[in-house]
Amino acid sequence: MLEMLSPFFHLLLFPGGLFALACGLLLKGVDRKVAARLQRRIGPPLHQPFVDLIKLWHKDSSVPETAQSRVFAWAPHVGVTGMALAALLIPIGGVYTPSGAYGDLLVLLYLLAVPAVALMIGGAASGSPFGAIGFSREMSMMLAYEGPLLLALLSVALKVGLATGGVATFSLAEIVRYQQAHGALLFDPVMWPAVVTFLFVIPANLGVVPFDIPEAESEILEGPLLEYSGKELGLFQIMSALKMVVVLGLGVTLFCPTAPGGLLLSLAWFIFKCLVLMVASVTVVRSATGRLRIDQAFSFYFKWPEALGVASLILVLTTRNFP
Amino acid sequence: MSSYTIPVGPLHVALEEPMYFRVEAQGEMVVGLDITAGHVHRGIEALAMTRNFYQNITLTERLCSLCSNSHPSTYCMALENLASIRIPERAEYLRVIADEIKRVASNLFNCAILGHIIGFDSLFKHVMETREIMQDVKETIYGNRMDLAANCIGGVKYDLDEERSKYLWQQMERMKKHLDEIYALYCKNSFVRLRTEGVGVLSKEDALRFAVVGPVARGSGIDYDVRQKSPYAAYDRLDFEVQTENGGDVLCRAKVRLREAQQAVRLIQQCVTDMPAGPTCIDTPPEIPAGEAIAKSEAPRGELIYYLRTDGSDIPERLKWRVPSYMNWDALKSMLVGDKISDIALIVNSIDPCISCTER
Repeated sequence: MLEMLSPFFHLLLFPGGLFALACGLLLKGVDRKVAARLQRRIGPPLHQPFVDLIKLWHKDSSVPETAQSRVFAWAPHVGVTGMALAALLIPIGGVYTPSGAYGDLLVLLYLLAVPAVALMIGGAASGSPFGAIGFSREMSMMLAYEGPLLLALLSVALKVGLATGGVATFSLAEIVRYQQAHGALLFDPVMWPAVVTFLFVIPANLGVVPFDIPEAESEILEGPLLEYSGKELGLFQIMSALKMVVVLGLGVTLFCPTAPGGLLLSLAWFIFKCLVLMVASVTVVRSATGRLRIDQAFSFYFKWPEALGVASLILVLTTRNFP
Repeated sequence: MSSYTIPVGPLHVALEEPMYFRVEAQGEMVVGLDITAGHVHRGIEALAMTRNFYQNITLTERLCSLCSNSHPSTYCMALENLASIRIPERAEYLRVIADEIKRVASNLFNCAILGHIIGFDSLFKHVMETREIMQDVKETIYGNRMDLAANCIGGVKYDLDEERSKYLWQQMERMKKHLDEIYALYCKNSFVRLRTEGVGVLSKEDALRFAVVGPVARGSGIDYDVRQKSPYAAYDRLDFEVQTENGGDVLCRAKVRLREAQQAVRLIQQCVTDMPAGPTCIDTPPEIPAGEAIAKSEAPRGELIYYLRTDGSDIPERLKWRVPSYMNWDALKSMLVGDKISDIALIVNSIDPCISCTER
């Protein structure tokens, strides 16, 4: 009986669902506070993202007359569902290991594209020209960063797979187990190009400056989000909070999933690692840069992260230990 | 590829004031532009013809926030030209100080907004924090952060005692360091340069054709500054250089503004040292005869012209002004077409449009 309920528990409460949402909103709160401090502002309190979400939940939402209302209303639900499922797949070292029945790294890779697709559908269905521009920009960004992301994931899969006697392993549990036994990949120089590639992908994947181009507020008025209000907008915020946890949690899983032991301590350690990763790859980056144009961002991704990803793959393949 | 229309404005997060652009775009490229004005018409010119000369000083100060000193000072100059009043020398220096303080604050404001538009909010905060020094100066010397209420017919309404002169000098020394740092930032930071270099180019020929004024003209290599071509107040006795750049793009205009702010700080310091003692205003109320007069000055955005016609009463028969943005905004057509949609707000901001004084 309990075993039948456990997928629901994992999806709705822990580690997906409520826990992931609270975690994501907390991360966003810290991000805003640290960014404010870096700009010598006071900044909002840590719980501001929670308050914002509750406020949106109590507001009416309006649908523009020119929108395709059904698609418009469903797009954020698709995004949230995708991310909730993805949160289910993120292992927490020493606390939670996703069952292989839920999916593996490849499923996660596909799920990671869902938020961008949801934004694209929502923007296109909103009937606003800014939504349409956001659509095309989101599409270009996806083309730009999916390549390096895939290469970084593949490097880790190959590294772990080759070391354990197979070809490439896409099992998240296996990747965590390997690192717990042999030390985190973060400290292996062979994996450093993959780490850097993944760090490059984070800002674009999470849509923050300098790569918040599809939702550029001062250029196209937040593009796809422009026409959203009330609960639907709140759903997009939930989606982006969940995505924060998923992307950062994936980074932690791939490169440093080791845990100190003890349930609460391991959990706190996981959140701490996510925080450090976020401050380094989101907060500091967005405070120190300005937004790029779409063509500049596109050519940037096709130059540096792409090259690094390929280099990382070659490095992993050439340094494997021949039996 | 078929083109589509996007509305920019009249309320747009990146435009500080209401202005409506109907932009024809193909993909990410702007191919056509239609500018519609008239969203903040308040009938101030008509109002000016119902108020007396003194009330109009207060009225013209409220036309616009960022150049709020240029309007009353030019209006007073027109009145003084008409009545052949020679204002005391000390007042001339004090007018320069008020004008230049506003110029520094206005130029920094525009450059800060540039940072915000390119998504570089740390830069925005940094420049605004520096601008806050000027706001403090205004509040300390004039008692207000925006409207200085410095001018009156025949002179100025404030004076600088020893203590305030010293304070002003010290604050300007502080500004110098910050302004040098900010200028270096705009010249060197790769994110600023990636977004602004070669964007919104206005060639010198086009600049002459559209007769643009102020930093927009000087950014396109036109060496025109009212302060030098027809000096007013104390500018003929002060040492400053007109700043020009030849690129004609958004970055050049920002650089011109920042260098002008640096020059303005020097001008204020010169005024504080060179200012002679004496009265700050004529001591008898002036008689304004019937007639016509024109006065012009260099506002932060460019050449500002006031035209005044009187009939011998204490109410102007006609008061009209031509503001710099009126000359500059038509040139947007030349700057925007051929650029990217992502740069629209950036280019519009680069002419520093002041809609509230253009549409009054």
